[in-house]
Amino acid sequence: MPRKIGTIEIEDIALGAAVLGTGGGGDPYIGKLMAAEAIDRFGPVDLIDLDDLADDDLVICSAMMGAPTVMVEKIPAGEEFVRAFEAIEARLGRKARAVMSAEAGGLNSTTPFITAAAMRRPLVDADGMGRAFPELQMVTLTLYGLSATPMSMADEKGNVVVLDCVDNLWTERLARTATVEMGCTAMIALYAATGAQLREAACRNTISLAQRVGAAIRTARAQQRDAVTAVLDVTGGFRLFKGKIVDVGRRTERGFARGHARLEGLGEHAGRTLEIEFQNEHLVARTDDRVLCSVPDLICLVDAESGEPITTEAMRYGFRVEVLGIPCDPRWRTAAGLELVGPGYFGYDFEYVPVEERVQG
Amino acid sequence: MNCKPVAIGVEELADLAVGAAVLGTGGGGDPHIGAMMAAEAVRRHGPVQLLPLEALDPDDLLICSSGMGAPTVIIEKVPGGQEMVTAFRALQRRLGRQARAVMSVEAGGLNSTLPFVTAAELGLPVVDADGMGRAFPELQMMTLTIFGLPACPAALADERGNVVLYDALDNRWLERLARVHCVEFGSAAYVASYPLTAAQARQAAIPGTISLCLRIGRAIREARAAHRDPVAAVLAETGGFPLFRGKLVDVARRTTAGFARGEAWFDGTDHDEGRRFVVRFQNEHLTASEVDAGGDAGAGHPAGAGERLLCSVPDLITMLDAENGTPITTEALRYGLRVQAVAIPCDWRWRLPQGLGIAGPRAFGYDYDYVPVEQLAGAQAS
Repeated sequence: MPRKIGTIEIEDIALGAAVLGTGGGGDPYIGKLMAAEAIDRFGPVDLIDLDDLADDDLVICSAMMGAPTVMVEKIPAGEEFVRAFEAIEARLGRKARAVMSAEAGGLNSTTPFITAAAMRRPLVDADGMGRAFPELQMVTLTLYGLSATPMSMADEKGNVVVLDCVDNLWTERLARTATVEMGCTAMIALYAATGAQLREAACRNTISLAQRVGAAIRTARAQQRDAVTAVLDVTGGFRLFKGKIVDVGRRTERGFARGHARLEGLGEHAGRTLEIEFQNEHLVARTDDRVLCSVPDLICLVDAESGEPITTEAMRYGFRVEVLGIPCDPRWRTAAGLELVGPGYFGYDFEYVPVEERVQG
Repeated sequence: MNCKPVAIGVEELADLAVGAAVLGTGGGGDPHIGAMMAAEAVRRHGPVQLLPLEALDPDDLLICSSGMGAPTVIIEKVPGGQEMVTAFRALQRRLGRQARAVMSVEAGGLNSTLPFVTAAELGLPVVDADGMGRAFPELQMMTLTIFGLPACPAALADERGNVVLYDALDNRWLERLARVHCVEFGSAAYVASYPLTAAQARQAAIPGTISLCLRIGRAIREARAAHRDPVAAVLAETGGFPLFRGKLVDVARRTTAGFARGEAWFDGTDHDEGRRFVVRFQNEHLTASEVDAGGDAGAGHPAGAGERLLCSVPDLITMLDAENGTPITTEALRYGLRVQAVAIPCDWRWRLPQGLGIAGPRAFGYDYDYVPVEQLAGAQAS
């Protein structure tokens, strides 16, 4: 049964998605404003389950690509999402039954609502990551052999590019260079797939999960309970570290926001130091002697008082934060999943160990 | 004008490649590779018909087929041949329409012959026209742009099977987006672009470029066979001017942002003994200047301190081997080469204000206005 998503639900989804965004996925605030504006204008969006789709129903993912550091300053005009989406429909000669989110984390949890509202299509309660990742081939759909292409890109100037690539890594390479040339942001439509394919390959109910996480934080705050505990209850996550940000280094290179943050421990972690490295999203959190959590598990920074998630571009000196580790979708823990998004892909030479084992060890 | 098609076989392709390399002004790719590929395609599929623009119906669709990238790379990474066909077919599918003929974007070693590969593979004729009447380094530098014709939709393909379709805001944006993809592909990519009707081509394209290339190539070949001066034969066919005769004493080149850029220095020989010249290039030759030994810029054009401009874009600057008249591409420039530099006036369309905006000296970052080579040559003679 479809569920209506209006501006109030969008608030919770954006808040929860910022947790699942693991520091990246773009500023959810901007996505929320744009989605709320689109819903005000076109009406609420139907959120449908993957099981509501017929086997051969066509679904296309809608997203924004680029460096979050640029996205917060260069806000899309709005029509780009629809222009990109329609370019894929024209290329395929077929209308999509529904819109899907490529990533449940950050900005891209809410941007598909802009497309869905403007095109009056339902949004599927699923995504391709169960979190946010920096590159477009990093979706569970890739593990099932689904092609990102035909993929389209539209910018605010009016350029439209349609890619047909030999594999999803080539799609990432060509889309990334075009994004940089377009000014480090582009609206994209990709991963056209059928209902049957997505029931197998997509991460289910992740939009609802984002909404539940957001609602949990909101409710906890209203009831003056601990918001961090509420997040952990919904996500099955762990407290990794509590500390104060004492150093942040970031650089925007090749279309990514890369960098690191150093935290000095507070409370039970006093006297210890935590180092976090990120490429749009947090990749690894480690103390002097050991790794506490790494991709593909989720590393989330939240304000120690309010539970408000903190994106990599918002991190700054003096913030008191809790660092949380949340287990990823089990498909990311397969050999193929780890090859695509494990520590090795991002240049680390340690083996992936699930966060729940690291916490016990 | 003769409206009968001409069959282009292996022999004609050899002349075409040489003639196109003359008009290629040092760029447009290596003529040998293009001629070999086209000859192979013609052997497999039979000769390709060359059609005058007049032979087409006004609403016949033409699509330009070309290679893109750094010539320094293309001579080492030879295309397989299917890349052009892939791009061409992707654009036809995007348009929902089949092309009546293939057009060349430019006269250049590679891009005058590559359309014959596409045409042979697809069983289409090639139209006797191009979009530059010479070679230029960037996609938007076409007389078609002067007349407001869009390069898009356009398709780009590589040898792996990647295809990109563009609906860019303007031709300059197509150049920017396609260029970064070309670099990502390894500095070589294959393009189908500028879909246009025969009626539009009659206004905006340069007619007769392919047959001019054939005539220049044949003139060089026949002059050599008859032990006549091939340089004089080229000048007679093109209405060009001799610029200088010299020995190459230094060349600097770098491949940046998908282009082969650099400059070559020459010591004058024969009647130019004691003079010094510099030619600057970005895939194609952009400027030729005489360098004053004493640092006096003289009464000539302000090309730079101590330099006197002899010729600049959009006019053509071509290096011919002083002995046998073979056109020399920028990537073949090396110490000791003895050359005859010649200048050929460009098509009148380039001398329109919009033409100079796209391909005049300022479009390449030079801080001076264009002066036609006829006037510069006159100034030099006086």
